[in-house]
Amino acid sequence: MIQLVNVNKSFGNNQVLFNINLDIPEGEKLVIIGPSGSGKSTLIRCINGLEEATSGQVFLDGEELTRKNHTKLVRKHCAMVFQQFNLYPHLSVMGNITIALTLLQKKSKKEAEQVAAHYLELVGLTEKANAHPPQLSGGQQQRIAIARALATQQKIILFDEPTSSLDPEMVQEVLDVMIKLSSENITMVVVTHEMGFAKQVADRIVFMDEGCIIEEGHPTDFFENPKSVRTRLFLSKILR
Amino acid sequence: MDMGPFAAWRWQRLFNDSNIFILGLKNTLLISFLALLLALVIGFILGLASTSSNKALKGVTRAYVEFFQNTPLAVQVFFFYNALPALGIKFSVRAIGVLGVGLYHGAYVSEVVRAGINSIPVGQLEAAKSQGFQTLQALVVVIIPQAIKIMLPPLTNQAVNLIKNTSVLSTIAGGELMYLTNKWVSSGTLNYGPGFVVAGVIYFLLCFPLAYLARKYEENLKAKTTR
Amino acid sequence: MKRKLYLVLAAITLVAFVAGCGNNNSNNNSNTNQGGSGGEEGAMLEVLRAGVKSDVPNFGIYDPETDTYSGLEIDLAHMLAKELTGDETKVEFTAVTAQTRTPLLDNEDLDVIIATFTITEERKLVHNFSTAYYEDAVGLLVKKDAGIESLEDCDGKIIGVAMSATSEDAIQAAADELGVNVTFEAFSTYPEIKAALDSGRVDIFSVDKSILRGYMDDTTAILDDAFSPQQYGVATKLANKEVADKIEELITQWLNDGTLQELIDKHQI
Repeated sequence: MIQLVNVNKSFGNNQVLFNINLDIPEGEKLVIIGPSGSGKSTLIRCINGLEEATSGQVFLDGEELTRKNHTKLVRKHCAMVFQQFNLYPHLSVMGNITIALTLLQKKSKKEAEQVAAHYLELVGLTEKANAHPPQLSGGQQQRIAIARALATQQKIILFDEPTSSLDPEMVQEVLDVMIKLSSENITMVVVTHEMGFAKQVADRIVFMDEGCIIEEGHPTDFFENPKSVRTRLFLSKILR
Repeated sequence: MDMGPFAAWRWQRLFNDSNIFILGLKNTLLISFLALLLALVIGFILGLASTSSNKALKGVTRAYVEFFQNTPLAVQVFFFYNALPALGIKFSVRAIGVLGVGLYHGAYVSEVVRAGINSIPVGQLEAAKSQGFQTLQALVVVIIPQAIKIMLPPLTNQAVNLIKNTSVLSTIAGGELMYLTNKWVSSGTLNYGPGFVVAGVIYFLLCFPLAYLARKYEENLKAKTTR
Repeated sequence: MKRKLYLVLAAITLVAFVAGCGNNNSNNNSNTNQGGSGGEEGAMLEVLRAGVKSDVPNFGIYDPETDTYSGLEIDLAHMLAKELTGDETKVEFTAVTAQTRTPLLDNEDLDVIIATFTITEERKLVHNFSTAYYEDAVGLLVKKDAGIESLEDCDGKIIGVAMSATSEDAIQAAADELGVNVTFEAFSTYPEIKAALDSGRVDIFSVDKSILRGYMDDTTAILDDAFSPQQYGVATKLANKEVADKIEELITQWLNDGTLQELIDKHQI
């Protein structure tokens, strides 16, 4: 579903991704972990064109992502959930979810609202349909953001540290929604520091450090028997 | 007979010639309105262009803004009026009014638009792009509706300044309120007192409601965001 | 909101009126002062503050390099200063335009205006004017290549005049008689009219002939047409009778003894 071939990315003289090769089959739940500044976020931002790879190729469903077609490809395949939620504050919850459906997928307003209602129910926030984002808690906002991503009914959803800016008591409600999602046939790429979630949901874990993929594997192997010293060092810090 | 500059008989003369001031008001309104439209169109195009990542586009808009902000409107208007005809381009005085004032304030509007758009967190644009919106579409649907609240008060101030600045056209026989006032006070019995007071009051009546609305709106906005 | 607006308007009008009245009062005071405590024996003024033109060659023109004024009206101001203050160098010149000269006189910032100020019946209602020291007719300055020989050829043409134009009515009347359609655009200064003529904004530059002569060059010509004689007078504040009478006396004297004619000849106008 997603292929990254020899992807390098630099910001000016600062190279942040080194020769990344990654193949993510349809329906896989991939969790990317690693220390801050390891390039995890840049990596998934390369998948949906928010960052353009300096060299190398990114394929979505077999089609190469280029500057020309990335908007179209992303619209077709990909949704994203951000660390800062990035809900549109001037629109209601319903408006946030339906805007892409009506304007990009050309659904009728009624149709779009039906879809939205379905996913609002899924994230347990049906009663907030007419609220505006600033009136909601962080956890609620992130659940709305997930509903917004789901409502586009894409095969791929990218999660960029979805719980990192939440107060601790709100982390679980968001993770619960994501765990619920993992039973669906959606390709999920999740950058996170939540190791419990990774163990429970991931089909595969990728560990990154300093712009390189250091190690990858099934969660059981990865957590119980990490091969690389750097992985072990990282896990020992984070699983204290 | 009272010969003071504000003597009653001078007001009577102004009253008799009130059609001149009404004509001036009409022309000032017409020029202001069209110039404002032009300024908004130019301002939005340049303002959006200046937030793009394209360096050439940014450079061009920067040059435009710096040129028009750092030369006096009076010089620009004089140039349009007297220098362009030498190049075979001859606009009517009214067109120069709309063009001169519009281009000049377009530079200021574009700065307002740029600042407004830049005040919206970059995550908003990224969210829209991650949904598959083109940049322009994202600006129209997501960014500008949020930025407009921030832009409205300074835009209204621009409208006020624009109305006042149409008076510069009096130097090129612009036919607007200031020109007709100048002409009226320097003819006949030289009633500059009532003439300039009335012109001032008319400008005030045009500008004050706008400035007042802008201030009220800004206060409401502040009250809302600090609540 | 409405009430606030009215208050503000009332305030503006009030300030304007008070300013006007204040001037009237101070006017009387300064008059007695000037009359009583003149620097020299018999002098009416300590210094003559004269409003003059800065952009009219031969009448009143300012030279920024030497920071001096020159022209017929400047000489006249010096001569008046000699009589009124006892010293011909005791003159302060202020450049005036059509919009500034009357307020400057009313506010007592100036004692006299000697600035190609045409005498009209209406203006005599608001200022004292001396007998004319110069008389001239309104003329028409055109581009040589414009094919204009007289007012008859001016149908559909635009005539650039000065803001204070007394010439507009006269030309309009003559044009109406000829069945010729003309429009007028007014400018604050003469150089602005010349610029508009050069750029083709106006077809004709029309002010008093002697002034036009200062703006002639190789590409322009003055037509033979002449309209409504313009008489230039020395203007003083209406209340300032004492000075006005003295000036009237002097001008009449200089007209009769040929002094003024010498002055006119000197400046070749």
